[in-house]
Amino acid sequence: MNPIIIDGLSFALPLLIIAIGGIFSERSGVTNLALEGLLGFGAFTGGLCFVLITQILPMDSAVAFYLSFLAAALGGCAFSLIHALLCIKLRANQVISGVVINIAAVALTGFLTVQINTLAFAGASNKFLLTTAPRFSVPFLCDIPVLGAFFTKLYPFQPLIVVLAVICWFLLYRSRIGLRIRACGSNPQAVDAAGLSVGRIRLFAVAASGALAGLGGICFAYSISANVSPSIYFGGGFLAIAAMIFGNWKLVPTLLACLVFGFARSAASQLVLLLKMDSSVTDLAMIVPYALVLVLLVFFSRNTRAPKALGEVYDKGQR
Amino acid sequence: MPQAIIELRHISKSFPGILANDDISLTINQGEIFAILGENGAGKSTLASILFGMYSPDAGEIWLRGKKTNITSPARAVELDIGMVHQHFKLISEYSVTENIILGDEPLRRLAGIAGLDRKAAGTRIQELIDCYQFDLAPDALIEDIGVSSQQRVEILKMLYRSAEILIFDEPTAMLTPQETERLLAIIRRLRDNGKTIILITHKLEEIKLVADRCAILNHGRLIEVFDVASTSTQTMANRMVGYELNLNIKKTPPNFGRPVLEVSDLTVYDALKVKRVDAVSLKVHAGEVFALAGVAGNGQMELADAIAGLMDVHSGSIRLKGEEITKTTARRRACAGIAYIPEDRQQVGLILDFTVSENLMSKSYFRPPYCKGPFLQTKAAARLAEDICQRYDIRSAQGVATLVRSLSGGNQQKLIVAREIEAQGDLVIFVQPTRGLDIGATLGIRQRIIAERDKGRAVLLISLELEEVKALADTIGVIYNGRIAHTAPASEVGMKELGEYMLGVRK
Amino acid sequence: MKASRRLEGLLVAGVAVLLALLVISVIILAVGKNPLLVFSSLLQGAGWLPKPKYAGGRGVLTDFMGLLDAMTPMLFAALAVAIAFRAGLFNIGVAGQMLAAGFLATVIVGYSPLTAVLAKPLVLLVGLAVGGALGAFVGFLKARFNIHEVVSTIMLNYIVLYITSFFIKSYYIDPVSRQSRAISSEARLTLMNVDLGGLSSRLPLCFLLAVALAVLFYLLLARTRLGFEIRAVGKSRKAAQYSGINARRTIVLSMALSGCSAGLAGVTYYLGCFNSILPAELSNIGFDSIAVALLANSNPLGSILSSLLITTLTYGSNYMSSTAGISEYIASLMIGVVLLFSACGGFFQYLLGRRRKALELDKEATGGAGIGTGGSSGSSNPGAGAGTGDSPGSEYDQDAKAAGQP
Repeated sequence: MNPIIIDGLSFALPLLIIAIGGIFSERSGVTNLALEGLLGFGAFTGGLCFVLITQILPMDSAVAFYLSFLAAALGGCAFSLIHALLCIKLRANQVISGVVINIAAVALTGFLTVQINTLAFAGASNKFLLTTAPRFSVPFLCDIPVLGAFFTKLYPFQPLIVVLAVICWFLLYRSRIGLRIRACGSNPQAVDAAGLSVGRIRLFAVAASGALAGLGGICFAYSISANVSPSIYFGGGFLAIAAMIFGNWKLVPTLLACLVFGFARSAASQLVLLLKMDSSVTDLAMIVPYALVLVLLVFFSRNTRAPKALGEVYDKGQR
Repeated sequence: MPQAIIELRHISKSFPGILANDDISLTINQGEIFAILGENGAGKSTLASILFGMYSPDAGEIWLRGKKTNITSPARAVELDIGMVHQHFKLISEYSVTENIILGDEPLRRLAGIAGLDRKAAGTRIQELIDCYQFDLAPDALIEDIGVSSQQRVEILKMLYRSAEILIFDEPTAMLTPQETERLLAIIRRLRDNGKTIILITHKLEEIKLVADRCAILNHGRLIEVFDVASTSTQTMANRMVGYELNLNIKKTPPNFGRPVLEVSDLTVYDALKVKRVDAVSLKVHAGEVFALAGVAGNGQMELADAIAGLMDVHSGSIRLKGEEITKTTARRRACAGIAYIPEDRQQVGLILDFTVSENLMSKSYFRPPYCKGPFLQTKAAARLAEDICQRYDIRSAQGVATLVRSLSGGNQQKLIVAREIEAQGDLVIFVQPTRGLDIGATLGIRQRIIAERDKGRAVLLISLELEEVKALADTIGVIYNGRIAHTAPASEVGMKELGEYMLGVRK
Repeated sequence: MKASRRLEGLLVAGVAVLLALLVISVIILAVGKNPLLVFSSLLQGAGWLPKPKYAGGRGVLTDFMGLLDAMTPMLFAALAVAIAFRAGLFNIGVAGQMLAAGFLATVIVGYSPLTAVLAKPLVLLVGLAVGGALGAFVGFLKARFNIHEVVSTIMLNYIVLYITSFFIKSYYIDPVSRQSRAISSEARLTLMNVDLGGLSSRLPLCFLLAVALAVLFYLLLARTRLGFEIRAVGKSRKAAQYSGINARRTIVLSMALSGCSAGLAGVTYYLGCFNSILPAELSNIGFDSIAVALLANSNPLGSILSSLLITTLTYGSNYMSSTAGISEYIASLMIGVVLLFSACGGFFQYLLGRRRKALELDKEATGGAGIGTGGSSGSSNPGAGAGTGDSPGSEYDQDAKAAGQP
């Protein structure tokens, strides 16, 4: 039971922060299928920051570890500006722009990783090696039966994500910018009439989604593979989008969806272990979250209420 | 001595092909109700948009409170204490009244250094305004749950909350019943008495007579004259307003009813969110009859039209066309059986904007000869037919039938839909909001077309939110309220006032 | 008029490619190489320009035939993306559909003792059927449950990936190559080492089939009832439903067509260009084809040109990286940049369109319309107003709304 919760949580929380990124963007009216690419680019800049600091500067890996999160958020944010530019300024189809950014991110991070490894570290590897993140347990709390697993063997980024999620909740539902973001996704004409700039609000929302997705990306890089490589594009961004849809573009239900995905994933792999099955069966267990998404979508897609102006190019001229 | 608050000097504004405002100069005084009167397309909305910073004039100056001012954006206008109630409200339907009002000017409260919304302060301020002007609104109600006239009061509150001193109303009574109109005019008067300056844009003379102090008449973008309302007779104003304009009155011969074409009985329809929209509606439309359904927006009339045309599932009840049961058939079957449908939303529903004129003209009959032979489209034949239709219905496009419909003007787009539907030679034609947003020439043309179809012996179901249109065209009037038919009567037997009461659900 | 719009599309694509080349040149310069050298070695690798020297029995024709071989699945895949695009659907599951089709064709036909006459058509049939079924399934999910096709196809990609990986690793693995066992040459859709005028070369049997399918799709869209329905649903689902078109049926059908084409891409890739499958790996073609379709503005005929271009980039990159000493990733980066610029294509067209509209309104007005259009205050645009009083969500309204969203 415990490993299911521990592994599930360590998968669900990065997923959540990416999904929250999606909520920011989509509640402002910008469809964001670019999350996958954004998380990959964020992981890339984060990983780059880590290897630069640890290998070039003789610095403590703990400092590098924390700085890499900042770098990941900045990288994701920067890359998301392309999406913002395409969708807000250049009136591109938002779905196409998202997919294009995903493809561009795979290509760009691959190219840059090899290029940088060749230049700086004299090896044409397509990976940045990270250290495995230190894990910790919360004293006392981790001893509670069953529930204690929620406080056991945590990655340092897990509490960080929880704090961030609370801040995001506040931003979305209790702050000025949140009111404006959600208004943009519902009726941008009204926002414009209130004397606000729809473009600027959406820019902020998309940039925020980039930063959050980038953060989620580096978390995945630390927790899943301890390196940044093309395998970071395992569909986490799309799982996050699915979670957001189940969550009806609302934060708390999205959290629940992420937990379901995370626990389903860890339960499936625990099952393979438990039944002492061949390791190739793990491949089958990997299907579980993706298949679960499809099955759940069958039941939930009908009742979703997407933001009204989602995907629409806002044209000031059209009143 | 009245004090000028706004002075327009030689304002001109043109759009491609149209000179919307042509050298307009006028002065608006502090604390008066200044009406701008003109037919659709006379340029009054453009003038208001310029005052609110939505357009910048091509030429001319605006002097505000004695200073030359550039109103570059709505935001700037708000800073200058100018507010505007748009014809189409700018509200967020899932937000509360309070949230809609504070959007863009939110009061903040610091909590441990973090600035959050101060809903309490906002609520108090708004409640004060509501009480002051007797608005009868609940600050916490969601916009989607309140009626059109309440929504309009929210729009007014938005301006007052930003302490606007100059309030622009763009056609505020277009969607209101006579009773609601009266109430609005009272509010406008109260605002004036509180020292606000009101600019009222309208094409309804009687409203001006009731509230306005002075009135400017626009025609074809030019300022005709400014009147002192109290000392000018309605007749004089009417003459000046219409000028050489077309007369909107339609000549109508007495109706000659035939057999019933459309029979709807006990029809109930739910929307996708399982909300009951149409509730046990029964009605009959005969050949040679214009049955007009009046009602305030959102009372189920659009859903009723969709259900009859086969675009929404029927929950219970039946629809019969020429005696034949069609309740469960597809939209295509019904179209073939003789239902023509001019939908409310021309651009999203009635047309495929990125298709050409000729493709749109065949969009309901592409699957049968002469447009189609076996599985193959006959594009050349279609183009020839389309050219003929364009000529007969006077549909103008820059590059003939290969023009994308997106680049047609609103009037020509609507003419295209009407042409297509009428060419289908159906026995029943459903018109929904057929003249909304059209200029006067196009409006007149469409209205004449409706009567012509009636005279040809077709049954016409007209759904309109404009009472004036209903009165002008109907042989029989039904009023829909809350998804139910509240009243049905021959057009000659009901007055405007009575209709308004049914529309509001006051009279049952 | 139509011709001028098409020309405009070509212009936009050309500008996108040129801009992309420019950006890539800057990047190449930045890593200290000569862009001209890089590009010419790219063209040499792709068989457009002769290389300085060739191994025995090989020549520029060898490379060019190799290019056509690589282009075959690319064109099929691009057509899959294009036809779905025209129906307003975004099939980014081409890679998964390819893999599923390739895997099943490998298992069913590739390992069978059938002779070429039977095996080759059967491979194509399996490809059509598997791809078509997967595509139709996605279309069904969209039409029936309103599941956004981008999400469902991505999920299916991973599901297919892991299932095939499991079976290949468990049952069909070649212990040396760590790939699936090679298929019989009877089933392979590309003939190897064919003697063409003294040069040994590949012969892609399905290349002409791919070109024919492009023409077929073009005619289908432009000249048939079904094509009209597909385009109508793609441009506006609401309006199509209003016109009496069964949008759900059309969506399933067009996704099935798209899947069929993707299936053909799969078999010509895994049982043509290659003869085995690398487990747990999706082909890049599935994603590069999006660039091809976008660049062609979803025109099937244009896809022929643009797939030739994109394949030149991918196919030539191998030789380029070995001779010019630059990472192969530059090719995929180039595709990425081409994609970015073609995604902006809409903006260029919008600018052109706005100019055109202004001109047309002018003409219309001078044509004697006489009366202005409502002061242009936009009252003629009920769709954009999102007026709160408008009928809140009738059923088909809801469906169509979701069309642009995940």
